[in-house]
Amino acid sequence: MTKELLISSCQQLLSGFEFTLGIFAFTLIFSLPLGLLVARGRMSKNIVVASLVRFYISVMRGTPLMLQLLLVYYGPYYLFGTSTGGIKIGPFNYRFIAAIIGFSLNYAAYFAEIFRGGIQSMPKGQYEAAQVLGFTKSQTYFKIILPQVIKRVLPSVANEVITLVKDTSLAQVLSVSEMFFIASSLASKQVSIMPFLVAGLFYYIMNALIEMMITKIEKKMSYYS
Amino acid sequence: MNNDAILVMENIHKSFDDLEVLKGIDLTVNRGEVVAVIGPSGGGKSTLLRCATTLEKIDSGRIVIAGDTLCEMDGEKLKYADKARLRHIRSRFGLVFQNFNLFPHFSVRRNITESLIHVLGKTKDEANGICDDLLLKMGLQDKADSYPCNLSGGQQQRVSIARALAANPDIIFFDEPTSALDPELTKGVLEVIRDLASEHMTMVIVTHEMTFARDVADRIVFMDGGVIVEEGPAYDLVTNPKSQRTKEFLAGY
Repeated sequence: MTKELLISSCQQLLSGFEFTLGIFAFTLIFSLPLGLLVARGRMSKNIVVASLVRFYISVMRGTPLMLQLLLVYYGPYYLFGTSTGGIKIGPFNYRFIAAIIGFSLNYAAYFAEIFRGGIQSMPKGQYEAAQVLGFTKSQTYFKIILPQVIKRVLPSVANEVITLVKDTSLAQVLSVSEMFFIASSLASKQVSIMPFLVAGLFYYIMNALIEMMITKIEKKMSYYS
Repeated sequence: MNNDAILVMENIHKSFDDLEVLKGIDLTVNRGEVVAVIGPSGGGKSTLLRCATTLEKIDSGRIVIAGDTLCEMDGEKLKYADKARLRHIRSRFGLVFQNFNLFPHFSVRRNITESLIHVLGKTKDEANGICDDLLLKMGLQDKADSYPCNLSGGQQQRVSIARALAANPDIIFFDEPTSALDPELTKGVLEVIRDLASEHMTMVIVTHEMTFARDVADRIVFMDGGVIVEEGPAYDLVTNPKSQRTKEFLAGY
Protein backbone atom coordinates (compact mmCIF):
# COMPACT_ATOMS: atom_id res chain seq x y z
CA MET A 1 0.00 0.00 0.00
CA THR A 2 1.49 3.30 -1.06
CA LYS A 3 1.60 6.36 1.11
CA GLU A 4 -0.69 8.27 -1.26
CA LEU A 5 -3.27 5.51 -1.16
CA LEU A 6 -3.19 5.44 2.63
CA ILE A 7 -3.66 9.22 2.82
CA SER A 8 -6.55 9.23 0.36
CA SER A 9 -8.14 6.28 2.20
CA CYS A 10 -7.87 8.16 5.46
CA GLN A 11 -9.44 11.22 3.87
CA GLN A 12 -12.36 9.21 2.59
CA LEU A 13 -12.79 7.47 5.92
CA LEU A 14 -12.78 10.83 7.69
CA SER A 15 -15.50 12.11 5.38
CA GLY A 16 -17.50 9.06 6.40
CA PHE A 17 -16.63 9.80 9.99
CA GLU A 18 -18.67 13.00 9.71
CA PHE A 19 -21.77 10.86 9.23
CA THR A 20 -20.72 8.56 12.06
CA LEU A 21 -20.36 11.59 14.31
CA GLY A 22 -23.70 12.93 13.06
CA ILE A 23 -25.56 9.73 13.87
CA PHE A 24 -23.85 9.57 17.24
CA ALA A 25 -24.63 13.17 18.23
CA PHE A 26 -28.22 13.28 16.97
CA THR A 27 -29.00 9.94 18.58
CA LEU A 28 -27.81 11.17 21.96
CA ILE A 29 -29.64 14.48 21.60
CA PHE A 30 -32.92 12.69 20.94
CA SER A 31 -32.61 9.46 22.90
CA LEU A 32 -31.49 10.86 26.27
CA PRO A 33 -34.55 13.11 26.84
CA LEU A 34 -36.79 10.52 25.19
CA GLY A 35 -35.36 7.89 27.53
CA LEU A 36 -36.28 10.05 30.51
CA LEU A 37 -39.82 10.35 29.16
CA VAL A 38 -40.05 6.62 28.48
CA ALA A 39 -38.80 5.90 32.00
CA ARG A 40 -41.61 8.04 33.38
CA GLY A 41 -44.11 6.20 31.22
CA ARG A 42 -42.74 2.87 32.40
CA MET A 43 -43.25 3.97 36.02
CA SER A 44 -46.68 5.46 35.30
CA LYS A 45 -49.55 4.55 37.59
CA ASN A 46 -51.74 4.32 34.50
CA ILE A 47 -51.65 0.60 33.69
CA VAL A 48 -52.35 1.11 29.98
CA VAL A 49 -49.47 3.56 29.59
CA ALA A 50 -47.12 1.44 31.70
CA SER A 51 -47.90 -1.75 29.75
CA LEU A 52 -47.56 -0.08 26.36
CA VAL A 53 -44.22 1.40 27.33
CA ARG A 54 -43.09 -1.91 28.76
CA PHE A 55 -43.97 -3.61 25.45
CA TYR A 56 -42.09 -0.94 23.51
CA ILE A 57 -38.97 -1.43 25.64
CA SER A 58 -39.28 -5.18 25.31
CA VAL A 59 -39.43 -5.05 21.50
CA MET A 60 -36.61 -2.52 21.23
CA ARG A 61 -34.32 -4.61 23.39
CA GLY A 62 -35.50 -7.95 22.06
CA THR A 63 -35.02 -7.50 18.31
CA PRO A 64 -31.91 -6.66 16.28
CA LEU A 65 -31.18 -2.97 15.91
CA MET A 66 -30.34 -3.68 12.28
CA LEU A 67 -33.87 -4.95 11.70
CA GLN A 68 -35.33 -1.91 13.43
CA LEU A 69 -33.33 0.37 11.14
CA LEU A 70 -34.61 -1.47 8.08
CA LEU A 71 -38.20 -1.23 9.34
CA VAL A 72 -37.96 2.51 9.91
CA TYR A 73 -36.48 2.95 6.46
CA TYR A 74 -38.80 0.70 4.46
CA GLY A 75 -41.83 0.86 6.78
CA PRO A 76 -43.45 4.01 5.35
CA TYR A 77 -43.37 2.52 1.86
CA TYR A 78 -44.76 -0.89 2.77
CA LEU A 79 -47.36 0.46 5.18
CA PHE A 80 -48.63 3.51 3.35
CA GLY A 81 -47.07 3.27 -0.06
CA THR A 82 -45.32 6.55 0.67
CA SER A 83 -42.18 7.23 -1.27
CA THR A 84 -39.49 8.48 1.08
CA GLY A 85 -36.99 9.28 -1.64
CA GLY A 86 -37.89 12.96 -1.73
CA ILE A 87 -37.89 13.56 2.02
CA LYS A 88 -35.15 15.88 3.13
CA ILE A 89 -34.50 17.88 6.26
CA GLY A 90 -31.78 20.42 5.60
CA PRO A 91 -28.85 18.51 4.13
CA PHE A 92 -30.10 15.13 5.41
CA ASN A 93 -31.83 12.59 3.19
CA TYR A 94 -34.28 9.99 4.45
CA ARG A 95 -31.59 7.32 4.80
CA PHE A 96 -29.83 9.40 7.37
CA ILE A 97 -33.08 10.51 9.04
CA ALA A 98 -34.28 6.90 9.25
CA ALA A 99 -30.99 5.94 10.89
CA ILE A 100 -31.41 8.70 13.49
CA ILE A 101 -35.02 7.69 14.19
CA GLY A 102 -34.10 4.00 14.48
CA PHE A 103 -31.11 4.59 16.73
CA SER A 104 -32.98 7.10 18.92
CA LEU A 105 -35.96 4.80 19.46
CA ASN A 106 -33.67 1.90 20.29
CA TYR A 107 -31.31 3.77 22.61
CA ALA A 108 -34.18 5.54 24.36
CA ALA A 109 -35.41 2.12 25.48
CA TYR A 110 -32.03 1.24 27.01
CA PHE A 111 -31.60 4.67 28.57
CA ALA A 112 -35.13 4.49 29.97
CA GLU A 113 -34.32 1.32 31.89
CA ILE A 114 -31.11 2.86 33.22
CA PHE A 115 -32.95 6.02 34.29
CA ARG A 116 -35.73 3.99 35.87
CA GLY A 117 -33.18 2.11 37.95
CA GLY A 118 -31.59 5.40 39.00
CA ILE A 119 -34.87 7.08 39.87
CA GLN A 120 -36.14 4.08 41.82
CA SER A 121 -32.90 3.86 43.77
CA MET A 122 -33.50 7.34 45.22
CA PRO A 123 -34.45 7.16 48.90
CA LYS A 124 -38.04 8.12 49.67
CA GLY A 125 -36.75 10.55 52.28
CA GLN A 126 -35.45 12.90 49.57
CA TYR A 127 -38.99 13.33 48.22
CA GLU A 128 -40.41 13.70 51.70
CA ALA A 129 -37.87 16.31 52.77
CA ALA A 130 -38.56 18.27 49.59
CA GLN A 131 -42.31 17.98 50.13
CA VAL A 132 -42.35 19.32 53.69
CA LEU A 133 -40.07 22.17 52.63
CA GLY A 134 -42.80 23.18 50.18
CA PHE A 135 -41.04 22.42 46.89
CA THR A 136 -43.40 21.74 43.99
CA LYS A 137 -43.28 18.39 42.20
CA SER A 138 -41.30 19.81 39.29
CA GLN A 139 -38.88 21.66 41.59
CA THR A 140 -38.34 18.42 43.48
CA TYR A 141 -37.72 16.55 40.27
CA PHE A 142 -35.35 19.00 38.63
CA LYS A 143 -33.50 20.34 41.69
CA ILE A 144 -33.38 17.39 44.05
CA ILE A 145 -33.96 14.11 42.24
CA LEU A 146 -32.58 14.44 38.70
CA PRO A 147 -29.13 15.81 39.64
CA GLN A 148 -28.60 12.88 41.99
CA VAL A 149 -29.96 10.38 39.48
CA ILE A 150 -27.53 11.65 36.83
CA LYS A 151 -24.59 10.91 39.10
CA ARG A 152 -25.93 7.44 39.88
CA VAL A 153 -26.57 6.43 36.27
CA LEU A 154 -23.46 7.98 34.72
CA PRO A 155 -21.41 4.74 34.58
CA SER A 156 -24.23 2.82 32.89
CA VAL A 157 -25.01 5.65 30.49
CA ALA A 158 -21.31 5.83 29.60
CA ASN A 159 -21.44 2.16 28.69
CA GLU A 160 -24.29 2.78 26.26
CA VAL A 161 -22.64 5.86 24.79
CA ILE A 162 -19.50 3.87 24.03
CA THR A 163 -21.56 1.07 22.50
CA LEU A 164 -23.37 3.64 20.37
CA VAL A 165 -20.11 4.78 18.78
CA LYS A 166 -19.59 1.27 17.44
CA ASP A 167 -23.28 0.65 16.67
CA THR A 168 -23.31 3.60 14.23
CA SER A 169 -21.66 1.17 11.80
CA LEU A 170 -25.03 -0.59 11.51
CA ALA A 171 -26.29 2.37 9.50
CA GLN A 172 -24.51 0.83 6.53
CA VAL A 173 -27.60 -1.37 5.97
CA LEU A 174 -29.36 1.84 4.94
CA SER A 175 -26.40 2.75 2.70
CA VAL A 176 -25.66 5.78 4.85
CA SER A 177 -22.09 6.60 3.90
CA GLU A 178 -20.79 6.47 7.44
CA MET A 179 -17.26 5.36 8.18
CA PHE A 180 -17.80 1.61 8.16
CA PHE A 181 -19.70 1.80 4.87
CA ILE A 182 -16.78 3.68 3.33
CA ALA A 183 -14.30 1.23 4.87
CA SER A 184 -16.16 -1.70 3.30
CA SER A 185 -16.14 -0.19 -0.17
CA LEU A 186 -12.48 0.83 0.11
CA ALA A 187 -11.55 -2.62 1.35
CA SER A 188 -13.20 -4.34 -1.60
CA LYS A 189 -11.71 -1.87 -4.07
CA GLN A 190 -8.20 -2.24 -2.65
CA VAL A 191 -8.58 -5.92 -1.78
CA SER A 192 -7.09 -5.07 1.60
CA ILE A 193 -8.08 -5.22 5.23
CA MET A 194 -6.22 -1.97 5.86
CA PRO A 195 -9.25 0.39 5.58
CA PHE A 196 -11.04 -1.65 8.25
CA LEU A 197 -8.07 -1.39 10.59
CA VAL A 198 -7.83 2.37 10.08
CA ALA A 199 -11.58 2.69 10.68
CA GLY A 200 -11.17 0.60 13.83
CA LEU A 201 -8.45 2.96 15.00
CA PHE A 202 -10.76 5.95 14.46
CA TYR A 203 -13.56 4.30 16.46
CA TYR A 204 -11.09 3.55 19.21
CA ILE A 205 -9.73 7.13 19.32
CA MET A 206 -13.26 8.49 19.55
CA ASN A 207 -14.11 6.17 22.41
CA ALA A 208 -10.86 6.94 24.21
CA LEU A 209 -11.81 10.63 24.08
CA ILE A 210 -15.29 9.81 25.39
CA GLU A 211 -13.82 7.81 28.25
CA MET A 212 -11.61 10.75 29.16
CA MET A 213 -14.58 13.08 29.14
CA ILE A 214 -16.63 10.76 31.32
CA THR A 215 -13.79 10.40 33.82
CA LYS A 216 -13.69 14.19 33.99
CA ILE A 217 -17.43 14.44 34.60
CA GLU A 218 -17.28 11.72 37.24
CA LYS A 219 -14.51 13.60 38.99
CA LYS A 220 -16.55 16.78 38.87
CA MET A 221 -19.48 14.98 40.48
CA SER A 222 -17.41 13.29 43.16
CA TYR A 223 -17.67 16.27 45.52
CA TYR A 224 -20.38 14.37 47.35
CA SER A 225 -21.16 10.73 47.96
CA MET B 1 -60.92 25.73 71.18
CA ASN B 2 -57.90 27.40 72.65
CA ASN B 3 -56.84 30.35 70.49
CA ASP B 4 -53.25 29.64 71.30
CA ALA B 5 -53.38 26.10 69.94
CA ILE B 6 -50.72 25.66 67.25
CA LEU B 7 -51.56 22.06 66.48
CA VAL B 8 -55.02 20.58 66.78
CA MET B 9 -55.63 16.94 65.86
CA GLU B 10 -59.13 15.63 66.44
CA ASN B 11 -60.38 12.07 66.23
CA ILE B 12 -57.64 11.02 63.82
CA HIS B 13 -58.13 7.65 62.16
CA LYS B 14 -55.59 6.08 59.85
CA SER B 15 -55.33 2.57 58.42
CA PHE B 16 -52.80 0.90 56.18
CA ASP B 17 -54.85 -1.64 54.24
CA ASP B 18 -56.57 -3.66 57.00
CA LEU B 19 -54.34 -2.49 59.81
CA GLU B 20 -55.74 0.40 61.82
CA VAL B 21 -52.72 2.34 63.04
CA LEU B 22 -54.43 5.38 64.57
CA LYS B 23 -57.71 4.75 66.33
CA GLY B 24 -59.16 8.16 67.05
CA ILE B 25 -56.32 10.30 68.36
CA ASP B 26 -56.94 13.70 69.95
CA LEU B 27 -53.94 15.91 70.48
CA THR B 28 -53.64 19.65 71.00
CA VAL B 29 -50.34 21.48 71.31
CA ASN B 30 -50.31 25.07 72.49
CA ARG B 31 -47.89 27.81 71.53
CA GLY B 32 -44.59 27.44 73.33
CA GLU B 33 -45.38 23.95 74.51
CA VAL B 34 -42.97 21.03 74.15
CA VAL B 35 -44.72 17.70 73.83
CA ALA B 36 -42.83 14.41 73.78
CA VAL B 37 -44.52 11.39 72.26
CA ILE B 38 -43.26 8.10 73.61
CA GLY B 39 -44.29 4.50 73.27
CA PRO B 40 -43.30 1.13 71.82
CA SER B 41 -42.46 0.70 68.13
CA GLY B 42 -45.53 0.14 66.02
CA GLY B 43 -47.67 2.06 68.50
CA GLY B 44 -48.49 4.76 65.97
CA LYS B 45 -46.19 7.60 67.10
CA SER B 46 -44.39 8.05 63.81
CA THR B 47 -47.58 7.67 61.81
CA LEU B 48 -49.19 10.40 63.90
CA LEU B 49 -46.26 12.67 63.13
CA ARG B 50 -46.37 11.80 59.44
CA CYS B 51 -50.08 12.60 59.33
CA ALA B 52 -49.53 15.97 61.00
CA THR B 53 -46.79 16.82 58.51
CA THR B 54 -48.78 15.87 55.36
CA LEU B 55 -46.55 12.88 54.54
CA GLU B 56 -49.50 10.56 55.14
CA LYS B 57 -53.15 11.31 54.54
CA ILE B 58 -55.55 10.47 57.33
CA ASP B 59 -58.78 8.56 56.75
CA SER B 60 -60.94 10.73 58.97
CA GLY B 61 -60.59 13.47 61.55
CA ARG B 62 -59.50 17.08 61.60
CA ILE B 63 -56.08 18.72 61.62
CA VAL B 64 -55.42 22.44 62.12
CA ILE B 65 -51.91 23.86 62.05
CA ALA B 66 -51.24 27.45 63.13
CA GLY B 67 -54.86 28.37 62.50
CA ASP B 68 -54.96 26.85 59.00
CA THR B 69 -57.16 23.83 58.45
CA LEU B 70 -55.15 21.05 56.83
CA CYS B 71 -58.15 18.75 56.63
CA GLU B 72 -61.59 18.32 58.12
CA MET B 73 -64.75 16.31 57.71
CA ASP B 74 -67.32 17.56 55.25
CA GLY B 75 -70.22 15.40 56.32
CA GLU B 76 -68.98 11.84 55.85
CA LYS B 77 -66.15 12.84 53.54
CA LEU B 78 -62.69 14.03 54.49
CA LYS B 79 -61.58 17.20 52.72
CA TYR B 80 -57.95 18.30 52.44
CA ALA B 81 -56.79 21.83 51.79
CA ASP B 82 -56.06 22.68 48.14
CA LYS B 83 -52.54 22.73 46.71
CA ALA B 84 -51.79 26.38 47.38
CA ARG B 85 -53.09 26.16 50.93
CA LEU B 86 -51.08 22.97 51.51
CA ARG B 87 -47.91 24.74 50.44
CA HIS B 88 -48.67 27.57 52.81
CA ILE B 89 -49.33 25.18 55.68
CA ARG B 90 -46.07 23.37 54.94
CA SER B 91 -44.18 26.60 55.42
CA ARG B 92 -45.70 26.95 58.90
CA PHE B 93 -44.13 23.82 60.32
CA GLY B 94 -40.71 22.17 60.19
CA LEU B 95 -39.92 18.47 60.28
CA VAL B 96 -36.69 16.86 61.44
CA PHE B 97 -36.29 13.30 60.20
CA GLN B 98 -34.71 10.39 61.97
CA ASN B 99 -32.15 9.96 59.18
CA PHE B 100 -31.78 13.68 58.40
CA ASN B 101 -32.72 13.47 54.70
CA LEU B 102 -30.38 16.28 53.82
CA PHE B 103 -29.83 16.84 50.11
CA PRO B 104 -26.38 15.30 49.55
CA HIS B 105 -25.62 17.25 46.38
CA PHE B 106 -26.20 20.60 48.07
CA SER B 107 -23.78 22.35 50.40
CA VAL B 108 -24.94 22.98 53.95
CA ARG B 109 -25.78 26.54 52.95
CA ARG B 110 -27.87 25.46 49.98
CA ASN B 111 -29.67 22.82 52.03
CA ILE B 112 -30.85 25.61 54.29
CA THR B 113 -31.41 28.43 51.78
CA GLU B 114 -32.84 26.62 48.74
CA SER B 115 -36.44 26.53 49.96
CA LEU B 116 -36.20 30.06 51.39
CA ILE B 117 -35.30 31.36 47.95
CA HIS B 118 -37.39 29.12 45.72
CA VAL B 119 -40.44 28.49 47.90
CA LEU B 120 -40.73 31.55 50.11
CA GLY B 121 -39.32 33.98 47.55
CA LYS B 122 -36.65 35.49 49.78
CA THR B 123 -33.62 37.16 48.21
CA LYS B 124 -30.28 35.39 48.26
CA ASP B 125 -28.92 37.90 50.79
CA GLU B 126 -31.89 37.46 53.13
CA ALA B 127 -31.61 33.68 52.89
CA ASN B 128 -27.87 33.74 53.52
CA GLY B 129 -28.39 35.97 56.55
CA ILE B 130 -30.92 33.54 58.02
CA CYS B 131 -28.60 30.64 57.24
CA ASP B 132 -25.59 32.26 58.95
CA ASP B 133 -27.62 33.03 62.07
CA LEU B 134 -28.92 29.49 62.30
CA LEU B 135 -25.52 27.89 61.73
CA LEU B 136 -24.07 30.05 64.47
CA LYS B 137 -26.82 28.88 66.78
CA MET B 138 -26.10 25.26 65.86
CA GLY B 139 -22.37 25.73 66.41
CA LEU B 140 -21.71 25.05 62.74
CA GLN B 141 -20.73 28.52 61.56
CA ASP B 142 -17.63 27.16 59.78
CA LYS B 143 -19.54 24.43 57.92
CA ALA B 144 -21.64 26.51 55.50
CA ASP B 145 -19.65 25.37 52.48
CA SER B 146 -19.24 21.74 53.55
CA TYR B 147 -21.27 18.93 52.05
CA PRO B 148 -23.37 16.63 54.23
CA CYS B 149 -21.12 13.63 53.50
CA ASN B 150 -18.23 15.44 55.21
CA LEU B 151 -20.13 16.00 58.44
CA SER B 152 -20.68 13.69 61.39
CA GLY B 153 -24.18 12.34 61.99
CA GLY B 154 -24.69 14.79 64.83
CA GLN B 155 -23.63 17.71 62.67
CA GLN B 156 -25.89 16.54 59.85
CA GLN B 157 -28.83 16.38 62.22
CA ARG B 158 -28.09 19.90 63.43
CA VAL B 159 -28.03 21.10 59.82
CA SER B 160 -31.40 19.48 59.28
CA ILE B 161 -32.73 21.22 62.40
CA ALA B 162 -31.43 24.51 60.97
CA ARG B 163 -33.17 23.67 57.69
CA ALA B 164 -36.44 23.01 59.53
CA LEU B 165 -36.09 26.31 61.44
CA ALA B 166 -35.20 28.42 58.41
CA ALA B 167 -38.75 29.35 57.40
CA ASN B 168 -39.39 30.54 60.97
CA PRO B 169 -42.16 27.98 61.50
CA ASP B 170 -44.78 28.01 64.24
CA ILE B 171 -44.05 24.44 65.24
CA ILE B 172 -41.31 21.87 64.71
CA PHE B 173 -41.81 18.13 64.62
CA PHE B 174 -38.97 15.76 65.47
CA ASP B 175 -39.20 12.13 64.40
CA GLU B 176 -36.79 10.24 66.67
CA PRO B 177 -34.05 12.82 66.02
CA THR B 178 -31.29 10.88 67.75
CA SER B 179 -32.18 7.29 66.89
CA ALA B 180 -29.77 7.13 63.94
CA LEU B 181 -26.88 8.58 65.93
CA ASP B 182 -24.08 7.06 67.94
CA PRO B 183 -24.62 7.71 71.66
CA GLU B 184 -21.76 10.23 71.88
CA LEU B 185 -23.25 12.24 69.00
CA THR B 186 -26.75 12.51 70.46
CA LYS B 187 -25.63 14.99 73.10
CA GLY B 188 -25.09 17.91 70.74
CA VAL B 189 -28.43 17.36 69.05
CA LEU B 190 -30.32 17.10 72.35
CA GLU B 191 -28.60 20.29 73.55
CA VAL B 192 -29.83 22.15 70.49
CA ILE B 193 -33.39 20.94 71.10
CA ARG B 194 -33.07 21.91 74.77
CA ASP B 195 -32.01 25.42 73.72
CA LEU B 196 -35.01 25.67 71.44
CA ALA B 197 -37.26 24.60 74.31
CA SER B 198 -35.84 27.32 76.52
CA GLU B 199 -36.70 29.81 73.77
CA HIS B 200 -40.27 28.47 73.90
CA MET B 201 -40.25 27.01 70.42
CA THR B 202 -43.38 24.89 69.99
CA MET B 203 -42.25 21.32 69.46
CA VAL B 204 -43.56 17.79 69.14
CA ILE B 205 -40.82 15.24 69.68
CA VAL B 206 -41.18 11.53 69.06
CA THR B 207 -38.36 10.03 71.08
CA HIS B 208 -36.97 7.06 72.95
CA GLU B 209 -34.77 9.27 75.14
CA MET B 210 -36.81 9.02 78.31
CA THR B 211 -34.60 11.20 80.53
CA PHE B 212 -34.51 13.84 77.85
CA ALA B 213 -38.29 13.74 77.44
CA ARG B 214 -38.77 14.03 81.18
CA ASP B 215 -36.40 17.00 81.49
CA VAL B 216 -37.23 18.97 78.36
CA ALA B 217 -40.87 18.30 77.55
CA ASP B 218 -43.75 20.07 79.28
CA ARG B 219 -46.07 17.21 78.54
CA ILE B 220 -45.59 13.58 77.59
CA VAL B 221 -47.99 11.55 75.51
CA PHE B 222 -47.72 7.77 75.78
CA MET B 223 -49.05 5.99 72.71
CA ASP B 224 -49.63 2.29 72.23
CA GLY B 225 -51.87 0.26 69.95
CA GLY B 226 -52.98 3.32 68.00
CA VAL B 227 -54.40 5.19 70.97
CA ILE B 228 -53.12 7.67 73.52
CA VAL B 229 -52.93 5.53 76.63
CA GLU B 230 -51.89 8.27 78.98
CA GLU B 231 -50.74 11.86 78.88
CA GLY B 232 -49.72 14.37 81.46
CA PRO B 233 -47.01 16.70 82.77
CA ALA B 234 -43.67 15.19 81.77
CA TYR B 235 -42.17 14.69 85.18
CA ASP B 236 -45.34 13.22 86.69
CA LEU B 237 -45.89 10.78 83.86
CA VAL B 238 -42.35 9.42 83.97
CA THR B 239 -42.04 9.23 87.76
CA ASN B 240 -45.61 8.30 88.56
CA PRO B 241 -47.39 6.67 85.63
CA LYS B 242 -51.01 5.76 86.21
CA SER B 243 -51.75 3.19 83.54
CA GLN B 244 -50.40 -0.34 83.82
CA ARG B 245 -49.17 -0.26 80.18
CA THR B 246 -47.23 2.95 80.75
CA LYS B 247 -45.64 1.44 83.84
CA GLU B 248 -44.61 -1.68 81.93
CA PHE B 249 -43.18 0.41 79.07
CA LEU B 250 -41.23 2.74 81.35
CA ALA B 251 -39.89 -0.20 83.35
CA GLY B 252 -37.89 -1.12 80.24
CA TYR B 253 -35.84 2.10 80.57
